[in-house]
Amino acid sequence: MTGPALRLLRPGLLVLGLVLLPLLLRPIVAAEVLIFAVAAMALNLLLGYTGMLSFGQATFFGMGAYAGGLVIRHWEASLWVSLLAGVVVGVGTAAVIGYLCIQRLGIYFIMLTFGFNQMFYFIAYKWTDVTGGEDGLPGIPRPPVTLGPLHLRLDSSEEYYVFVAVAFVLLFYAMKWIVESPLGLVCQSIRENPNRAAAVGYNVTLYKWIAFTVAGAFTGLAGVLYAMLFGIVPLDAISFITSGNIVFMALIGGIGNVYGPLLGAVALIWLSETVSVFWHRWPLILGLALIAVVLFLRGGLAEAFERVRTAVAAARLGRQAGAGKEAA
Amino acid sequence: MSLPLLVIALLNGLVTGVIYALIGVGLSVVLGLLNIPNFAHGVLYALGAYFLYAASQGPLGFWAGLPVALVGVALVGAAIEYLGVRRLYRVHPDYVLLLTFGLALVLTEVIIIVWGPVGITYRPPALLAGTVDLGITLYPKYRFAVMVVTGLLVLGCWLFVEKTKYGAIIRAGIEDKEMASALGINIGRVFTLSFAAGAGLAGLGGALMVPIHGLLPSMGIEILPFAFVVVVLGGLGSLPGAILAGLLVGVVQSLMTVLWAPAANASVFAMMALMLLVRPQGLLGHR
Amino acid sequence: MRRLTRRDFVKTGVAGAAGTGLALGAPALLRAQAKEVVMLGIWPFTGPFADIGPVLDRGMQLAIEEWGGKVQGRPIKYITRDGETKASTSTRRVEEAIDSDSVKYVIGPWSSGVALAVTEVAKRRKVLHYFSGGTEELAGKRCHRYGFQWAASPYTAMHIVMDKFMERHPKAKRWYLFVVDYAFGWSVEKYIKIAGQRHGVEFVGTDRIALGHREFSGFVAKAAAARPDVLCLLNFGQDTVLSIREAHNFGLAPKVPIVHGWGSGVEDFLQLDARTRDNLWVGTNGYYTANTPVAKKFAETYQNKFKVPPGYAPTAAYGMTRLVLRAMDRAKSVEVPDVIKALEGWETEDWPGKVKILAETHQTVRDYFFLRCKRPDEMKQPHDFAEVIASGSTPLMPAEFNECKDIGAL
Repeated sequence: MTGPALRLLRPGLLVLGLVLLPLLLRPIVAAEVLIFAVAAMALNLLLGYTGMLSFGQATFFGMGAYAGGLVIRHWEASLWVSLLAGVVVGVGTAAVIGYLCIQRLGIYFIMLTFGFNQMFYFIAYKWTDVTGGEDGLPGIPRPPVTLGPLHLRLDSSEEYYVFVAVAFVLLFYAMKWIVESPLGLVCQSIRENPNRAAAVGYNVTLYKWIAFTVAGAFTGLAGVLYAMLFGIVPLDAISFITSGNIVFMALIGGIGNVYGPLLGAVALIWLSETVSVFWHRWPLILGLALIAVVLFLRGGLAEAFERVRTAVAAARLGRQAGAGKEAA
Repeated sequence: MSLPLLVIALLNGLVTGVIYALIGVGLSVVLGLLNIPNFAHGVLYALGAYFLYAASQGPLGFWAGLPVALVGVALVGAAIEYLGVRRLYRVHPDYVLLLTFGLALVLTEVIIIVWGPVGITYRPPALLAGTVDLGITLYPKYRFAVMVVTGLLVLGCWLFVEKTKYGAIIRAGIEDKEMASALGINIGRVFTLSFAAGAGLAGLGGALMVPIHGLLPSMGIEILPFAFVVVVLGGLGSLPGAILAGLLVGVVQSLMTVLWAPAANASVFAMMALMLLVRPQGLLGHR
Repeated sequence: MRRLTRRDFVKTGVAGAAGTGLALGAPALLRAQAKEVVMLGIWPFTGPFADIGPVLDRGMQLAIEEWGGKVQGRPIKYITRDGETKASTSTRRVEEAIDSDSVKYVIGPWSSGVALAVTEVAKRRKVLHYFSGGTEELAGKRCHRYGFQWAASPYTAMHIVMDKFMERHPKAKRWYLFVVDYAFGWSVEKYIKIAGQRHGVEFVGTDRIALGHREFSGFVAKAAAARPDVLCLLNFGQDTVLSIREAHNFGLAPKVPIVHGWGSGVEDFLQLDARTRDNLWVGTNGYYTANTPVAKKFAETYQNKFKVPPGYAPTAAYGMTRLVLRAMDRAKSVEVPDVIKALEGWETEDWPGKVKILAETHQTVRDYFFLRCKRPDEMKQPHDFAEVIASGSTPLMPAEFNECKDIGAL
């Protein structure tokens, strides 16, 4: 296969995957997969590329969801305003929390993100006038896509899936661009060796804060998409269990790999939906998968695929060499 | 607020506080020695409760359940450390954290598979049923007993760590494991035994709480965040810190419930966040 | 040979996984058959109401068995999904079941809060949703043409509880409330306070307590300090059982009577013992000694099969399924719009006795029961927990409280 065709292969496969996903999982669940894949991508930026394990991403996911849901419900905001609200709230919250958390390192950082997540959770729980508390924030319709003369309704699951898939592709390439940009490279150097990065002259704290805020933007946006998914913002959108799920998805898919979050989201949600129908104890499989990944396959599913493909290619090379020897 | 109400709130706070302290001690030691937050600590607490329940079906009843919970969960803890944590420690602490999270999931599901998803209520043993008259107010006998006994246990842990040779080894390991190892201490064995001891204490805590709260598979997930608050407030690796913080969290939670219930939980986490920002080494930690 | 990178493998992997999944999922596409009537029970098998899911399942199954598994010549396909008492999980699974199994009738869930979320899905997907719960919003602010409420209106229920209790305890003016902190608790709290006004009741304290909370000692202590004449529990299930036990542990009960406003009846009683049932008064939508032909037959069938009498939960599942199947027979059709029209305005005899389904709000007007727990010497057999001292379907909720202004079109 020649160069130009090769360059089309990867986007082509991505599009193929996105087309097949709703057939595999039902449109509404496939949309959920992509939404969480976006949140997992944001965590991947933090953990895989900058080396920060944030155990509180649900804070921004939930805040984005509530923000989007509230502006749609109370001000009948347009689609673009709602998405913007999620991004702005995600960025704002992440900027503040990030500033506070980044001052500490290692386990203290993890505990701080977790602690803030809990605080926001309990506030959301009790502030029932705004969030609906335990019952969640209901009655969120999907505003139509309005772009010049274009007016597309998103009421059916299929229509919404297409919208989310398009959004995902855009966000995916945005994230890819970020991690391949100078910013992304600096973040990776921080993950490798923060002291060296500082010695070379980079303001490590500033870069971490930027990464954290960018992650907040992506996560907040994912939150708004989630609010419009089922028409409700449930309380667990902001709970630490959701934070944990986002971490799992990134980990199982393969951290440090741009495609990992999507794989992880597919795996986790497929597991929880398909398996749960005939076995309620599916989290057992999830836990075992997590343990297996951590002990044996730290690159996650992405690494698994690579190993398989490498083994196949090596076998083929071996055969070719053997055939070559015979011919000679 | 009346005096009897205040007394009851304080006593309730001390009861939950000593249990928090018990759990916190185990978690803090593991954190200090191994530098990892053990996300499975909550489910070890739950496992202790269920071991007690299972053992108490036998002839000796409740009293058999307590040692079974302690020893059983300690063995589980030792297995976790030896088979899992140990292998990952050299790789990166993040992975150990995730391993313990995976274990928390797996063990919770195992509990549901064995004992079912439904909550189980449990009466205190006949010897400790009823109330004790404290003059100002009546108070349930069993809670009072838990407070006293667990308090002594926690004090015992403190004395062990502060005053005995083995305790000194643990403290040395927390302060500087390389140096301790260089001085000839089998640091690997210290890790395993400490992890096991911490797990056993958590299991015992769960068992003691059974007649008060009953059993529920999610009881581990519920208590975990509070266990983390306790060790952060007390200082990672500080036993006296964990004890003090445990009592503090218990009392604050209980008093807030009677003063301003809606804020009871949020205030506990606000305390943690504040401590992390202002004084990350906690009340009595070093660093 | 061109160099293949890790990225390519991953892409192939995604496509491969998708293809495999398609093969695995294909049966799902073929599963939905046009002839069957597909009914979904969205029950809690894990989470706060995990003990209630299985008995709800029993109730619905018994109703379907009574019809012989067929209605209007079509086979009934009954499927269940674990809603986990979570809005996110329940809505996702209901939506998914509608997509994959062509579900047309949704019964459940158990939690009022989750029901309000599920009903949005039903409204959007135009499937019939029957629910039994204490939130007034389902037949009120959030009413819609596809949603129905089987339980008595909380207005009516709380008035019966208050009026009948005060008849026997006219001097019990100081009430302390434990309210579970979500839609169900808020509705019944609102109406018990309105009902109390008529009797000059003073609500000396109200504590809103999270669903699934288990540390009630502080709240019991607060209640005791307020010196109430009544401890009124507006919570459900395990929360109620724990509150009652804690009240006894601290010596508040049985001195002070406990009124459980909206309860399971049997399911709770099975978890309490004679000591903790002392001076306990319970309001419920379903007690097995209800004196109607349908109730008697159901109680007998259920007890023969499961060795315990049915409480509110299995009765509700049974009652709702029955009404839907009867409506299909009445309409001679299994199409959702026809069944809805058959239900609206229907006055008939069913489990609670006389039943009327209001067309404007889809609220059922039916009896609510008030029980007094029996002392051990009064019990004629091990499950003879309580006697029904009153039942009624009035007072009806007055128009000024009705927030269902327009139930909408089909």
